[in-house]
Amino acid sequence: MKPTRDQRNALRAELRQRFQRERGQLLPALHYVHHKFGHLPGWAMEVTGWHLGIPVSEVYGAATSYSELRIEHPGRHLVRVCTGLACTGAGARDLLSGITTDTPQDGGTTVEETACGYLCGVAPAVQVDGAWLGRADAGAVLDRLKAADD
Amino acid sequence: MTSPAGSLRSLVDAARSRLRGGSCRVVVQVGHCSASVGAGEVADALRAAAPSGVDVVVAGCDGACYDAPKVTVAHGGGTGSVHTRVDPASALELAESLAQCGAGPAAGEEKATDGFFAGQRRVVLDGVGEVDPVSLDEYLLRGGYAGLAKALSMTPEAVIDEVKESGLRGRGGAYFPAAIKWESARKFDAPTYLVVNCEEGEPGIFKDRHVMEGMPHRLLEGAIIAAYASGAGSAYAYVNAEADLSAERLQAAIDQAYGCGLLGEDILGSGFGLDVEIRRGAGGYVCGDETTLLNTMEGYRREPRIKPPLPIESGLWGKPTVINNAETLASVPFIVAGGASAFVDIGANGDAGTKIISLSGSVRRPGLVEVPMGTTLREIIYGLGGGPGDGRGIAAMAVGGPSSGVLPASMLDTPIAPGQLHESGVMLGAGGVVALDEDANVVGVVRHLAAYNADESCGKCTPCREGTPRIVDALDRLIGGDGSDADLDELRQLAEVVELASLCGLGQAAGGPVKSALHFFGDEISELADRRDQ
Repeated sequence: MKPTRDQRNALRAELRQRFQRERGQLLPALHYVHHKFGHLPGWAMEVTGWHLGIPVSEVYGAATSYSELRIEHPGRHLVRVCTGLACTGAGARDLLSGITTDTPQDGGTTVEETACGYLCGVAPAVQVDGAWLGRADAGAVLDRLKAADD
Repeated sequence: MTSPAGSLRSLVDAARSRLRGGSCRVVVQVGHCSASVGAGEVADALRAAAPSGVDVVVAGCDGACYDAPKVTVAHGGGTGSVHTRVDPASALELAESLAQCGAGPAAGEEKATDGFFAGQRRVVLDGVGEVDPVSLDEYLLRGGYAGLAKALSMTPEAVIDEVKESGLRGRGGAYFPAAIKWESARKFDAPTYLVVNCEEGEPGIFKDRHVMEGMPHRLLEGAIIAAYASGAGSAYAYVNAEADLSAERLQAAIDQAYGCGLLGEDILGSGFGLDVEIRRGAGGYVCGDETTLLNTMEGYRREPRIKPPLPIESGLWGKPTVINNAETLASVPFIVAGGASAFVDIGANGDAGTKIISLSGSVRRPGLVEVPMGTTLREIIYGLGGGPGDGRGIAAMAVGGPSSGVLPASMLDTPIAPGQLHESGVMLGAGGVVALDEDANVVGVVRHLAAYNADESCGKCTPCREGTPRIVDALDRLIGGDGSDADLDELRQLAEVVELASLCGLGQAAGGPVKSALHFFGDEISELADRRDQ
């Protein structure tokens, strides 16, 4: 997506309002941008760097060092299957392949693994569009996806 | 001028006067774990359907994940009932039965004592699952902030001595004596920061979340005491990127504390002032390393710094910085209010206090338990967790997470202790215990942990960046039947090199799983190497 000049200026004004021009505000500002767009568009990282006075290369370097920040937009739906030790023991691998098989491969749904959802006591766990499902099975995940589209 | 104790007394009196007289209290435990199995919907259903005169309260989780969602009803006269695995439909039935609540026990299952709570000693988790975490009044009426009031009437040095005497060590996994950090900070004539490490990015560990979700004021009280003792004027609570509920409830506690003089200038009339701000992480195991955490707060890449200087000398923005784990700080109010000896008495074998264990894997009762130091793994896995069930036995346990290693069933009688549990490098770490039954593939588990370390290596140190994937490659060759004795040698060497030549705790411990596996499961791994020769 190529942003218009207005979009850039609008984001810069928002950042100026919320974050002081100091390096320590980089991560809070990146969180803000990430929340707003669902990922970190390149142009928004540029604007963040301009506002905070940090070279864009360093903004990119810092942003991409974090596992929870994305620089590409995921699909309309994001499914994350926990494949930590407890979840793997509770069948997370089969769950992952079940969900992957039964999800339409139209690019609308991103299915990925995550190292731990910190729900080891209610394994296996799957996150659908930000909300976690404990003691999950493929049916419940697909129902949740279907409900979100209806 | 009023004393801190006097100021606290007036807060408690005000809290008591606001106390509602409802004779029926329904507590729904809603935390990160239970919300994923519908606890939020249960709370909504109960709120909507409960008869008037019934207080529906949302609490944190008591750690019994296997029973979630859990609802407890306190009837008049001190009796109560416990309802487990509640769903919105059974919540409606429960709400109907509440019409008689207050008159005496209604129909409801009395919970059989199953050993999960019987073997615990709750200091940090005391009251978690019972109180409303976003109610300062409830915390005050349980004796909350008494430790702070006492500390503020002592000198910082006396507080340090008390905590030193208690033997409190850092519960994040390094077990460094907490009071030594505070004492060191006082040596510098410079603004000092306190960072509360609630990052908890280690797979299999969910303890700090439970504390923040269930009793955020206890953590805050400990943080204020630590700041007073170490002379810090600002504190940051660094909360994991995904722990939204934790951040929300901790923020609520901070706001309440500001509202009644427990934060800000002149806390409880003592003249001591402190500001607390929440910062959020953005993922990554390596953030648990102190210097990495500081880098991320300053807006740099998620990478560790060279030590020395230690954070206590030159930390956040080059200033002396005390970094304590959330569980460590949440232990402090108990120590200051009850005295060091109360904490020492809880532990065993010279190790003081309790440790929160995140218990998962092949056990009938997975969850979060707080046990005295010195409790054996057998008591944790079988006594509290109920063992694997179905007549199966335990084959091994992954203790202490990906930085630690795997112990065989023959080590079940090992008591938990700060630091190392076995000379092969297995550590208690932050207190994760994953039970593996006879069906589990132990070498596969070791590969799992090694692959995690390889993924999470930040890439700064070559031995860790290049060594951790090669450990995985060697394991893959062995598992795939292409391995040889040369791979065994390579594993031994790599584990050593990565440990010796990495900057941070992640790298230094990345060889742990392999080292412990070679020590305890050497025969199984050698068999894999021999397979190709046949």
